[in-house]
Amino acid sequence: MTDIDPSEYSDVWVFVEDHDGDVMSVSWELLNEAKTLVEETGEELVALVIGEDVDGVVEEAIARGADRVLVADDGVFEPYRADPYGEQFRAMVEERKPSIVLIGGTHTGRDFAGRVAVPTHAGLTADCTEIDVAEDGVLQARRPAFGGNVLATIICEEHRPQMATIRPGVFEAAPPENDRDGEIERVDVVVEEADTLTEVLERSTGETADVTEADRIVAAGGGIDGDLEPIRRLADALGAEIAASRHAVDEGWVDGSRQIGQTGKTVRPELYVAVGISGAVQHLEGMNDSEVVVAINNDPNAPIFDHADYGIVGDLFEVCPELADALEGAEQPEVTL
Amino acid sequence: MTHNPTIVVGIKQVPDDDEVRIDPDTGRLDRSSAPAVLNSPDRNALEAALGVRDDVGGQVIAMTMGPPPAADVLKEAVAMGCDDGVLISDIAFGGSDTWPTSLTLARTAEYLDADIVVCGEETTDSSTGQVPPGIAAHRGWAQLTYVEELEPLPEANQLAARRDVEGGYERVVADLPVVVAVAFGENEPRPAGLHRKIYAENEFEPVTVDANDLDIDEETVGLEASPTNVGGMETIEGVDRERTVVDDVDELAEAIRSTEVFA
Repeated sequence: MTDIDPSEYSDVWVFVEDHDGDVMSVSWELLNEAKTLVEETGEELVALVIGEDVDGVVEEAIARGADRVLVADDGVFEPYRADPYGEQFRAMVEERKPSIVLIGGTHTGRDFAGRVAVPTHAGLTADCTEIDVAEDGVLQARRPAFGGNVLATIICEEHRPQMATIRPGVFEAAPPENDRDGEIERVDVVVEEADTLTEVLERSTGETADVTEADRIVAAGGGIDGDLEPIRRLADALGAEIAASRHAVDEGWVDGSRQIGQTGKTVRPELYVAVGISGAVQHLEGMNDSEVVVAINNDPNAPIFDHADYGIVGDLFEVCPELADALEGAEQPEVTL
Repeated sequence: MTHNPTIVVGIKQVPDDDEVRIDPDTGRLDRSSAPAVLNSPDRNALEAALGVRDDVGGQVIAMTMGPPPAADVLKEAVAMGCDDGVLISDIAFGGSDTWPTSLTLARTAEYLDADIVVCGEETTDSSTGQVPPGIAAHRGWAQLTYVEELEPLPEANQLAARRDVEGGYERVVADLPVVVAVAFGENEPRPAGLHRKIYAENEFEPVTVDANDLDIDEETVGLEASPTNVGGMETIEGVDRERTVVDDVDELAEAIRSTEVFA
């Protein structure tokens, strides 16, 4: 076991996840939240940008709150692959010794975090929903555990860096301030294409819906039985985004980027309408902070009714279109940018 | 590969989620009364591994880390079609977080001469998803997570996969050895065959290995070697909701209209 001296490690790093110049919004959420950590510790907030032709991303990272940006810009880093990203990250950690590293809990973020925590012997906590730092610099990484009924605080006292993946949508991003100053530092790229173990043959991403931004959401569960039409109809009437439970995503009825819950996103809209969703704790975790929750389910004993403000027991294929008709006269939401 | 790859599947025994009860007096979770079952995402891992064997031959070995009763999940794996099962058991492993766990599984995969390691997406009892990339990282092997489909390429000694990425998918080829994490629910796990089931119940004995067999220094595993610790637990307060169940759609529309959302 390698003993390290935690006092040699400082600064908070945020991994900025970009795909071909498109940054996942969770990265900006983390950069904003991490400001409160460095205010506490008096350290630097460092954004880590790895990719190819990332100048735009680097500038935005400063505008979004980074004091310093570490840039590894090379063709070997586009598209993302765990092995070259892992090698590069390891070299940077060994050279610069960050105390805390925060990573968005997307598929890519979890793939990356799991890879890099091992060679650096970091403590890694998954899917955190709250973070703060104690006086001794120890990160308090909190995550729902045991099906969401308890909040566990995970700490890492003797190892560095202290790493955490954070669930998308839990924190809010700050708007960019274009006159902010920050340092840009280009690091040595330590990976060569010949050393990589993988090759991406094809990558296809459609629209990546950001349900975390929506003010109103209609969410589909297993009860829809593959028919999204009632959900679309109701969402149209409400001016709402469509989301889904894990069940509906696993069945392939709704894209995974719209999944709400423990392994999906956390949302806090003004209105959340759960349609044909039983209300498993894993799902509730992702939507419990919604202002108003409405449940439509044919099972009067479904747990979702205990977590809803208004509920109706009925066949969703009848209730949704009727409700859409009844609401059609209601005011449309103001457009928010 | 090799046209006869060794495919090792990492599986875990977990408390049955559906049976975990809340103690009415303390409000705490009582996991001790829950029966131990095979982690359900691991069924997708077993199916994916057996699918590779269907395509190109080879052998599929299930491995699990835990106390001796955990061997029950190996029986299930063998009943589903695995050729063998390995129980990784040593008091030294107790209290391991994902770092030493992935070290131990990586050593076992190496001990078994694995070409391909297949795991489930995550476990239902700790849901970190960190172990599959951890196994790969400990050995410097390639990793493929959130895999929807596998395509062995024996001529090239590679494995191709379709991965689920945010908003879409990608196709990746990886050199062997490789660690795969199969996206939960992505395939239809095969039922256990009757003969296999009888064999698993009556004749099958798992191979048991300990830290010494795997040449693992006891200082590098277990609670002491785990970077993370649980610093505290608190019960999450439920959100106070109106819990009004209305009788008809018009009433529901009226209730929605009356909220601040529409103010």
